[in-house]
Amino acid sequence: MSRLKVIIPVFLLLSVLFWGCPNTNPVEPYQPTPYTIDIPKGFPTRLNIPKDNPMTVEGVELGRYLFYDGRLSGRTQPDSLMSCSTCHVQSSSFEAGINNPRFPGGIVKGLNGVATHHVMLPMINLVWNASGYGWNGYIWPENPNPNLRNIEDMVYAAVTAKNEIDGDTTRIKTLFQSISGYPELFGRAFGSDKVTFKNIEKAIAQFVRTLISANSKFDKYLRGEEQLNQSELHGYVLFTTEQGADCFHCHGGAGNPLFTTHLFYNNGKDTLFTDPMDRYAITGKERDIGAYKATTLRNIEFQAPYMHDGRFKTLEEVIDFYSEGLHNSPYVNPLMHHVADGGVHLTPTEKTDLINFIKTLRDDSFLTNPAFSKPDRFPDDYK
Amino acid sequence: MNISKLYISPLLIAAAIVVLLQAACCNGKPPEPVPPAGEIAFSFQHVVDDKPVMFDSMTYENAAGNPYMVNEIQYFLSDFTLWRGGKGLVLDKWEDIHYIDTDLPNTMLYNPADEIEEGTYDSITFVFGITEEKNRSFMFVNPPESYMFWPEHLGGGYHYMKLNGKWRDTNDVVQPFNFHLGIGQTYDDQGNITGFVQNYFTVHLRASSFKIVNGLTTKAVITMHVDEWFKDPNTFDFNYWGGHIMENQQAMRAAIENGHNVFSIKFE
Repeated sequence: MSRLKVIIPVFLLLSVLFWGCPNTNPVEPYQPTPYTIDIPKGFPTRLNIPKDNPMTVEGVELGRYLFYDGRLSGRTQPDSLMSCSTCHVQSSSFEAGINNPRFPGGIVKGLNGVATHHVMLPMINLVWNASGYGWNGYIWPENPNPNLRNIEDMVYAAVTAKNEIDGDTTRIKTLFQSISGYPELFGRAFGSDKVTFKNIEKAIAQFVRTLISANSKFDKYLRGEEQLNQSELHGYVLFTTEQGADCFHCHGGAGNPLFTTHLFYNNGKDTLFTDPMDRYAITGKERDIGAYKATTLRNIEFQAPYMHDGRFKTLEEVIDFYSEGLHNSPYVNPLMHHVADGGVHLTPTEKTDLINFIKTLRDDSFLTNPAFSKPDRFPDDYK
Repeated sequence: MNISKLYISPLLIAAAIVVLLQAACCNGKPPEPVPPAGEIAFSFQHVVDDKPVMFDSMTYENAAGNPYMVNEIQYFLSDFTLWRGGKGLVLDKWEDIHYIDTDLPNTMLYNPADEIEEGTYDSITFVFGITEEKNRSFMFVNPPESYMFWPEHLGGGYHYMKLNGKWRDTNDVVQPFNFHLGIGQTYDDQGNITGFVQNYFTVHLRASSFKIVNGLTTKAVITMHVDEWFKDPNTFDFNYWGGHIMENQQAMRAAIENGHNVFSIKFE
């Protein structure tokens, strides 16, 4: 009993002392909120989220600011501002848009006025792309070069490329470190107020991974919420039959709602191949000469110009090409099984039906989703 | 109250733990002996004229005399079944649908998780493609399997196989072929679909007796003899059937009938 007489008062004294101590560490612990991607029905469950950049609410929020902040160029003069959103315009489904006043014909140019080597690719549902980024897939997860593996590296490439943002990473880091509000956002997202370019890459990549389109008329049709009309239904049959237009082997369908395989095909555009940045440049395989990524067809009506070099301005031109404009060559992909006939030879009505089906992949909610749009104000109240 | 009365000696606590552990472990029955078991692992290879396929090379000639090349082969094998004394053991049960893609080295190995009872087995069978019972649209949501979907209005489910290549036609023009197999269709005179045909089939491998040894993995190599698709009993002529056959049940039937000789097995 005598032991208890000693222990209890000591315990009480220590408790009072500890509770009475002032908090000497005012910094909030780093506790980001996990961001959960709601996987639409029928979409892949495997997501391309690297282990070293888990999605967080704070990371996505920061990424959205950076995506839209023209100071991402590292400059502050009005004519030297450029960010991802300068070219990736939400109302044009995150492409420039063929009627973009700054980029006539949808041909984007960097801050120094030089056009990019290829036209833009859709920035849609990239969280499901693990087969490579860019028209030739030069950035892919298994790349032996650790700096060319994922969206994070695509951000670095775009920010530093001479024909894109042409930014200097040191200057960019210094600028954002000095902008009121940003260091705190970095702290909440990554546990440190110090702005690093790696964390800029990570934040923008997190935001880009949230850009999901899964609410088109065709999605609603699959969910039983809407019906397609006769022309659209006939267009879908053409889309998914070998004796029709046979788009589905490369561009998906109900069973592959990404509407792309994210793979690379020579689709019979040419017989002479001189582009040093085709798929062959990556794989060195002859079959990849003149091959490029099959793009998703979601919101494709907003994504002119079409093909890697933007040679087609309208969907009608694209359909005409597949119908009667194909060129045979030793490198054409075998899935282009109508190539010896010059194409699939659709009637005018079939072309109309096919386009009507393709337009059911338009997702207006993607174009207007406020979570994807430019913030009203940046952290320092800059507009 | 004398606190020392509540003091329990460590010896007593240890004794109690031992008693409790014994009670938990021993229910009066001796532990059941684990039957000796091993595993089986499959690898896949693809040959033409008994030599490994040289992809993208127009070096082959099929039984119809068509010069041809192979670009890629993608297919499903399912329901791997080990037979002994007339009884079959289906590996992996419902998950037993394996995808093979000549462009994806990681698909060239298949290691079922099953612990297989030791002994000599008579044979192995598997299904080329997917049975009607299991071939359900939308069951694969992840690539590459999802890229194999077969349009619902053509019967749904998934391609059994995509064998893509090119052949040189009678006009000396090189044309692509998509030797794609899956659920076939029947059509009326107006071209409307009137029914579907399940084209999957069970492959009975000759000389496929093998042993499972306790604690070891038996390795089996399954070979697809690509040239056999075009040979026996039907001489498959690309100039006659053309480069796409998904909507041509007659062509698919000819191919499927040839399929029984396409696979062989050996054990390492």
